[in-house]
Amino acid sequence: MARSNPAETALDAHSGDGYDASPPLVTGNLSFHDITDLVAYHAEKKTPVTWLMAFGLASTGAALLLIMLAYQVWNGVGVWGNNVPVGWGWPIVNFVFWVGIGHAGTLISAILYLFRQRWRTSINRAAEAMTLFAVMCALIFPTFHVGRVWAIYWTLPIPNQMEMWPQFKSPLLWDVFAVSSYFIVSLLFWYVGLIPDLATLRDRAALAGKTLRARVIGFFSLGWTGANRHWRNYEKAYLILAGLATPLVLSVHSVVSFDFAVSVIPGWHTTIFPPYFVAGAIFSGFAMVVTLLVVARKIYGLENLITLDHLEKMNIIILLTGTIVGFAYITEFFIAWYSGVEYEQYAFINRATGPYAWAYWTMMSCNLFFPQFFWVKKLRRSIPFMFLTSIVVNIGMWFERFVITITSLHRDFLPSSWDYYSPTWVDVLTLVGSFGLFFTLFLLFLRFVPMVAVAEVKGVLPEADPHYYDDHGDGHGAAESVAVRPSPSGS
Amino acid sequence: MADTIQKSNLLFRLIDPLRPTSDHADRAFRFTAGRISWMLPVGIGIGLLVISAVWGVTDPTQFFFSYLVGWTFSLAVTLGCLFFVLVHHLTKAHWGVVVRRIPEAVAYAFPMLLVLFIPIAFGMHDLYHWTHHELFDPSSPEYDPIIAGKAAYLNQPFFFARLLFYFLMWSIIAYRLYTLSVRQDVHPEHDIPKRQRTVSAWGLPVFAVTTAFASYDLLMSLDPHWFSTIFGVYFFAGAVFAAFAFIAFMALLLQRRGGMLKHTITKEHYHDLGKYMFGFTAFWAYIAFSQYMLIWYGGIPEETVFFRHRLEHGWEYHTTALVFLHFVVPFLILLPRASKRALPLLGVMTVWFFIMQWFDLHWLAMPVKDMLYGGHAGFHLLDFTCWLGLFSLLIAATVYRLSRHSLVPQNDPRLAESLHFENV
Repeated sequence: MARSNPAETALDAHSGDGYDASPPLVTGNLSFHDITDLVAYHAEKKTPVTWLMAFGLASTGAALLLIMLAYQVWNGVGVWGNNVPVGWGWPIVNFVFWVGIGHAGTLISAILYLFRQRWRTSINRAAEAMTLFAVMCALIFPTFHVGRVWAIYWTLPIPNQMEMWPQFKSPLLWDVFAVSSYFIVSLLFWYVGLIPDLATLRDRAALAGKTLRARVIGFFSLGWTGANRHWRNYEKAYLILAGLATPLVLSVHSVVSFDFAVSVIPGWHTTIFPPYFVAGAIFSGFAMVVTLLVVARKIYGLENLITLDHLEKMNIIILLTGTIVGFAYITEFFIAWYSGVEYEQYAFINRATGPYAWAYWTMMSCNLFFPQFFWVKKLRRSIPFMFLTSIVVNIGMWFERFVITITSLHRDFLPSSWDYYSPTWVDVLTLVGSFGLFFTLFLLFLRFVPMVAVAEVKGVLPEADPHYYDDHGDGHGAAESVAVRPSPSGS
Repeated sequence: MADTIQKSNLLFRLIDPLRPTSDHADRAFRFTAGRISWMLPVGIGIGLLVISAVWGVTDPTQFFFSYLVGWTFSLAVTLGCLFFVLVHHLTKAHWGVVVRRIPEAVAYAFPMLLVLFIPIAFGMHDLYHWTHHELFDPSSPEYDPIIAGKAAYLNQPFFFARLLFYFLMWSIIAYRLYTLSVRQDVHPEHDIPKRQRTVSAWGLPVFAVTTAFASYDLLMSLDPHWFSTIFGVYFFAGAVFAAFAFIAFMALLLQRRGGMLKHTITKEHYHDLGKYMFGFTAFWAYIAFSQYMLIWYGGIPEETVFFRHRLEHGWEYHTTALVFLHFVVPFLILLPRASKRALPLLGVMTVWFFIMQWFDLHWLAMPVKDMLYGGHAGFHLLDFTCWLGLFSLLIAATVYRLSRHSLVPQNDPRLAESLHFENV
């Protein structure tokens, strides 16, 4: 390689002109050690009273969920608002809602990893945890919707003396496989990413003389020593899991969309459903990540790790996916007219002008119109506005599933079966309870696990570049920016 | 110095809106091949199209269908290249700066493609069943109430107005991105990257809507009874699939045949282009499967008719070939890292991708001809002369534009990162 590269010599004349360099991924001039301290501290400190209060509230919600489910199991599905012809009511709406939210985490860790989006490192840990909890919440609903929850294991193809097998032609069964494999791979992915950080917590506990804590965490860190070989295996595993998780992210919500689209019900049977559901899932998932992280970064003082630029990038994804979803709504509407099929045409006109028009226009405003404010840079960098939008988006996405599920069913092919669907108090409290469970799990995560992927964030710092010290001294006290300074969280 | 960027004269703007700036190009990024490099494909293209036209007189219907397939192929490649440039700017990507001039040059083909659309305008009656007036006349025995219900959309004035609108939008976006980029070669004004991003930001939604509706108009309405909401995504997937192959193909052509851009476009860049080729063969399969599976499962005659026509009269072999040659085989070939970095193999795959994208469009359009005029699956020689003639013109126009300017956006602030880019 001694030969000079003409392409590079040509470059010297112009380099630097008009370069709008990307902002740093970590601000505040933090050193490697600062980042470890900053994140690990929150998993090591004494439990704050505010956390206990929040946890108390959330776990009350989770208890409410248990009570509602027990009540439903005892009395039967009749306690819900489901009727004829609306056999799928809120439980399915809630299922699709939660599964959708559970898309952001693995998208951030897998797909953004393959696209070399280094900004994902600050948010992937929390987003993946959120994904796992959202999928757990989602699974509750179809599980109890089957009516006889004690026989739920029949959905698995287990050989039995009755020679009874699940219906392999049913998309509901595909859901069982799609969601459970997604959950398993996401869990593995999350855990693999956690191993180096758990080892850091272990070593810190050992140094502080907390032997039991070091033992327990040591068990979960699988003997990680940070050796070169460990890192090589880790990087390989990470890439392979990212490759496997990428099609899974697309497949889960595609399969969920099949639940609707394989039928011949007007408004459900439309071929754009798979990619449109995936876009919607990413949309709602990112909104939930923004909701959670806007609060968490403030309370835990992580503004230097999860910067405004990270949030802005997520808001751009919300704008993009919201517009895709909106375009899908318009496409459906146009093709329904174009098809010349009067049932299709009726289904869509009924959505927009029928008894559920209020839900349809809530969905349209929240998902298509509202995110358009993010075209304004000031608004997508405004914390209060993005917090509001993220909540509006998730309200809108809940209503999208409501519109799809309910409006298509409440007008049966037989006008004599037409009916209006209303939820019961059990429906409402079950949904509220599922939020309780979600926040309970998320609070536990914030309390016990490093909420930012410490090792990965360090990897995207400029100091991690092997050539960094070519211009910045030798890295041993020479450069101010890398000097080890007293920890800011000494208290 | 402000006068160094000059606009071409009016007629010439169809091909290249700017006068040559290659004097300002750095030595390493200059186009060094002779005029033969674009005159040869022009000659081949015109020759093949003349043969097609002469032959077409004997079988106009066949000619129009073959020409439509060939023309939509070039349109798809051009749209895919435009998409690449839009996304490249929006994501502030740096890996692809060294190859970006190629899709920029391709994307300015819209004015030329609009001119090349003219023969199709003469074949509307042969191609598009909905142009037959008797279908809309209730007193006619041919009256078709379903098609008549679509009269507000499927009528010739509106069709041409829409098409002009699409081309206007695409040409404006492509023109803005192309001229901004070439301007940067000569005047590296610091706000150019930002302006490119602004154009891309509004350009992307416009691109999405126009591409989807163009696919409904040009291809889906060939069978005016049939409809599928995913059709726009299907067309888009194929377009980007072919565009990445075309970018890699042109880069290989410049390097291997022309000896240009040595050490500029490296194995690392080809590796990334190969990843996208791999990714979009899978994405296409995902979309194609979704469309097929949902229509098959629903089993509604209005929809299944599309696949029925493609599973009889020999089209079943085309359908099967599509599954294996558009997805399974290229997926397996491009899966290993090594094959994306083996440039001879990647070169073969780019040609493979062109053939499969054309085969896919052929599969979309030709069964309609059989349905309307009788016949069975297979290829007509006109299919090849029209396709390759139009494709040669696309290549010629691209090479011609490349020959007049720097081969690389030489003042792009991310060029250094792109030159040093490595897959880790």
